[in-house]
Amino acid sequence: MPIGSMLGDIVKSFFKKPVTEKYPFVKTAAPENLRGKLVWNPENCSGCQLCIKDCPANAIELITIDKVNKRFVMRYNLDKCTYCAQCVVSCRFHCLEMSDDQWELAATHKEPFEVYYGREEDIKFLLEKAALGAPEEACPEA
Amino acid sequence: MPRQKSERFIVPIGPQHPALKEPGHFEFTVEGEVVTNATARLGFVHRGMEKGAESRTWTQDLYLMERVCGICSHVHSMAFVLGVEKLANVQAPPRAQAIRELVAELERIHSHILWLGVAAHEGGFDTLFMFSWRDRETVMDLLETISGNRVNYSANVLGGVKVDINERQKDELLRGMDFLEERTRHYLKVVTEDDTFLGRTRNIGVMTFEEATRLGAIGPTGRASGLLRDVRMDSPYAGYPDFPIQIVTAKAGDLEARFVVRIKELFESYRLVREIVEKIPSGDLTTKIPRRIPEGETVSRVEAPRGELFYYIKSNGTDRPERVKVRTPSLCNCASVLTTAIGHKLADMPMILAGIDPCFSCNDRMVVLNGPAGQSLWDWEKLRQYGIEYYKK
Amino acid sequence: MNVTFPPLIALLLFPGGLFLLASGLVFEYVDRKFIARYQNRIGPRWFQPLADLVKLLAKEEVIPAGTIKGLFIALPIAALAAALTAGLNVPLFGFRPVFSYPGDLIGTLYLLSLMTLCIGLAGANTENRFSIVGATRALTQLFSYEAPFLLALLGPAIALGTWNIGEINQAAGMNLWFILSQPIGFLAALIGLMGKLELPPFDAPEAETEIVAGALTEYSGRGFALFRIGRDVELVIGLTLIASFYLGGFSSPLDFLWKTAVLLLITAALQSLFARLRIDQTVGLWWRVGAILLLVQMLVIIVGSSLAPFVSRLFGG
Repeated sequence: MPIGSMLGDIVKSFFKKPVTEKYPFVKTAAPENLRGKLVWNPENCSGCQLCIKDCPANAIELITIDKVNKRFVMRYNLDKCTYCAQCVVSCRFHCLEMSDDQWELAATHKEPFEVYYGREEDIKFLLEKAALGAPEEACPEA
Repeated sequence: MPRQKSERFIVPIGPQHPALKEPGHFEFTVEGEVVTNATARLGFVHRGMEKGAESRTWTQDLYLMERVCGICSHVHSMAFVLGVEKLANVQAPPRAQAIRELVAELERIHSHILWLGVAAHEGGFDTLFMFSWRDRETVMDLLETISGNRVNYSANVLGGVKVDINERQKDELLRGMDFLEERTRHYLKVVTEDDTFLGRTRNIGVMTFEEATRLGAIGPTGRASGLLRDVRMDSPYAGYPDFPIQIVTAKAGDLEARFVVRIKELFESYRLVREIVEKIPSGDLTTKIPRRIPEGETVSRVEAPRGELFYYIKSNGTDRPERVKVRTPSLCNCASVLTTAIGHKLADMPMILAGIDPCFSCNDRMVVLNGPAGQSLWDWEKLRQYGIEYYKK
Repeated sequence: MNVTFPPLIALLLFPGGLFLLASGLVFEYVDRKFIARYQNRIGPRWFQPLADLVKLLAKEEVIPAGTIKGLFIALPIAALAAALTAGLNVPLFGFRPVFSYPGDLIGTLYLLSLMTLCIGLAGANTENRFSIVGATRALTQLFSYEAPFLLALLGPAIALGTWNIGEINQAAGMNLWFILSQPIGFLAALIGLMGKLELPPFDAPEAETEIVAGALTEYSGRGFALFRIGRDVELVIGLTLIASFYLGGFSSPLDFLWKTAVLLLITAALQSLFARLRIDQTVGLWWRVGAILLLVQMLVIIVGSSLAPFVSRLFGG
């Protein structure tokens, strides 16, 4: 019959479960190499700042606490990040990776989008300094 | 009282209109329901990307160019990457080239099915729209599993690719292709046999071979009029020399032919994906590429889902390009809408418009200046004079 | 069911008035849900039509420049009033029509058409181009389906020899159901109703992708809400008419429920099966196919009913 050739589809789907995902109520896992939130592991970082140079969105900053002992803090702006994973490719020491379990990145205010990675005391030190209003130590050009 | 000549009745479509989810402005002069004249105005979404590219490094530009179009993001980054690699005299390894082709074909599948749904929706056939988009989720999921994102895949890096496919993903790809092939066969039947739908597509918006040549139609729109033009075949790039395509054309040049060409191209893409998955060469994913690209200029062409995508890249030897010029396929096909629209019913306009698979966000470079005396085109001398006058004030 | 209600209650609460409005919303919900399920979607939640209505009613009504203000406000009210009035003549929910007179079938049909007329006027009233094109199409469509729709409903009336809806309702259940003896009429009535309500595939007058919202493009807020609820009410009344004529009438609310539900199931399927018809295709379909088939059927009915005594004598003897 040349009319209504989708009749089979609609009758079948009437008795089938809808395919609509009830997202906020039922969550499905993300695929394993999904590019979610960036995670920094400071262990091997040499402070070469290649990731910062290559980032198309200027979403990451590396703040040097102690250059000799390789103590850095990374400030990562989630709201700027385009999740392209170029930094992950650029990093020669495999310090960066994109997590596949942290991707529901929505908030009603700005603060949660500024993420600090590094040693706890360093972050604390930095934040206290910022609270005092002291100008931040700009990272020197590598 | 003498009767005045009837005023022209112009129906505007866009820049905000439910038929076009993107801003483009079309004015159709109608007499009753019949369109007698059509004009277009593009350039509502100028984002200054070409200029922006000049102030970013080559690596950063890759991601900027990927965002020219939301649907064919991979071909944009591929055109850019291929051009830069040509300038730097670097060849990406064969496995990388194959993966580039694989993602490009998956993207073509998603884009063509998306178009099928949109075109059906323009024709008021929402059931086909819903079903085709439901099945499109399969390929979206595949792209997400492979690359890690549904839209901006970011599969390319300069000198190779950053994603690899493993055995499990290969299995998923093959299964996905089987499912999609079966569904696509059904859709081909629906669009070529259903009488109510054929009433909206057959002999509507006919563009003959001669017209298509004259108007410079490209991509599936041109191929539906019998044009043998496909960059993948004419000058194969990336993995296409190893995994060649077979060109799909049709003679009729009407909307039905455009449906048929696009759907048959889907089968071609399924075949290619299967072939790549089975015979993917092993080896590295990237090669080294210098940060500063040697001086020179190049042209890079790839076949986007909508037709030929053209990049002109000029380097001055630094880590930033001097000029990047993009010409997207939708721009070439817009002229065909204006010609084919005349003589058809107003009700056919959305379908004729959708028939070229327009992507307006790509058309952000056209500028029309409205001169003081009502002219709309200025030559260089006038433009210069205007600039001098403007800054004198 | 032969229950008589006090006039004021019948007019304002049940079965007319508020209850009719509420059931209009329920019918819209069921229709949308069916279509969604046909398309493998979940569809709206049960309160969605009500929420839409409340939202629209609460919004500001913008009266565009260049319209006749009074007409702009009056048209949606007239449309809804006509639909509600038509409700009094039909056996809603299986109860006897509240208000009945000989030949009320014709009156009801004209009350139902008033809605389309109001929409056409509303479109022509504004200066919006989409509205004007929509209004032209709405009125063109009115002329294409109206006569076949009328013929389709006249079939059972002629066969039963009465043009009173209540009497047809009672008599329809006693004979063979008319859906079996007049299948063409049933289809024409159902499809005609879809044309009347501008449901897909006959939604050319408000084709979203071509002319935005057609004649109602300039309507917002209360006016739009009234048109919408008016259309929902018309859906209830139209389905009631077709079910009572062709599906053997109703004698109880339960009868009413399952018969209209079956009809809704069919209309929802028809809505999701086809691509939108262009207005010229709609007119062609109705006049080239619909009207001729119906006229032939009408002829058969007239000839048949005048020959019936003779035939029964022939076979009964």
